[in-house]
Amino acid sequence: MNPILADIYATVIPSAPFIIAAYAILWLALLVYVIKVVSGLKKTEAQMAVLEEAVRAKEGGVSR
Amino acid sequence: MVEKKVRIPEAGQWPDKLALPALAAGAVLTTVGFLMAFLFAAPVNGAALDTPELVNGVMVTHQQLISQKIFYFHMPVAIVSFVMLIFSAYYGIRFLTTREQRFDTCSRVAMELTLLFVIFTMVTGDLWTRFEWGVWWTWEPRLTTYLILMLIVIAYFVMRNSIDDPERRATYASVISLIAFVDVPICFMITRLIPSSVHPVIAREGGMTPDMAATVLVVMIGMMLVAFGLYRLRFREARLAERLQALKDQLED
Repeated sequence: MNPILADIYATVIPSAPFIIAAYAILWLALLVYVIKVVSGLKKTEAQMAVLEEAVRAKEGGVSR
Repeated sequence: MVEKKVRIPEAGQWPDKLALPALAAGAVLTTVGFLMAFLFAAPVNGAALDTPELVNGVMVTHQQLISQKIFYFHMPVAIVSFVMLIFSAYYGIRFLTTREQRFDTCSRVAMELTLLFVIFTMVTGDLWTRFEWGVWWTWEPRLTTYLILMLIVIAYFVMRNSIDDPERRATYASVISLIAFVDVPICFMITRLIPSSVHPVIAREGGMTPDMAATVLVVMIGMMLVAFGLYRLRFREARLAERLQALKDQLED
């Protein structure tokens, strides 16, 4: 390789792991957070449906 | 005298309908921004070359720095962390003036996202610093004030977990969110007051080139949309959890 070109791009390969790590950590952490929020939301919605049913059943039992 | 009715934020309203589209649009825009950072925005100049070289018809006089590509996400996530903190402090003030717990919920959710984006800023910044300066940490003014901000945000959650009384917890949390908010302008202005080589004032140094500015703008809008979508989803989950607890209490009675 032309030594001047090698000099121009001298920092590219050494910096690559840091750039890849920065983007990978950011994207992965964001993805994990989104999955956590969405699964938490679904779980809470399911619990809510069960509890609402239980409250309705209890109120129905009381009124009868 | 007629008392002014306080509008209380609630889940399930029109902003919730925008949460998933905002998240999807944010994902698309940040992906486009990522591609623009590497394929559209020109690399910045490093050390001067002894002999200039003609590369693809362009006279190159400096080393080409690729590590600067981290900037295209580092700066937008830092700005988003400030914006989320401003929202947290705003809802903290609303709680202190109205004593309505819902505002505390809003403030807590915004602070949670602040912490997330502060961590992103720290991680991306540290990796950049490690390569450019050969150290993981340096006591530079912007880094120090931002570290203080991160510690205040962590203290906010430590405090929340250590107090059981909801009223007292919300009051202290609101005060801490305001203290953290005070650090935002300090953090933002510190490089203007104490010049630093690690964090240059871009506007003072001639601004960004159009390709750099366009890339930052795309990522910034994308990250804002992601933050908005996450805030609405998380707020919806928090409200559902509160209603669930109320139902459990009702059943126990």
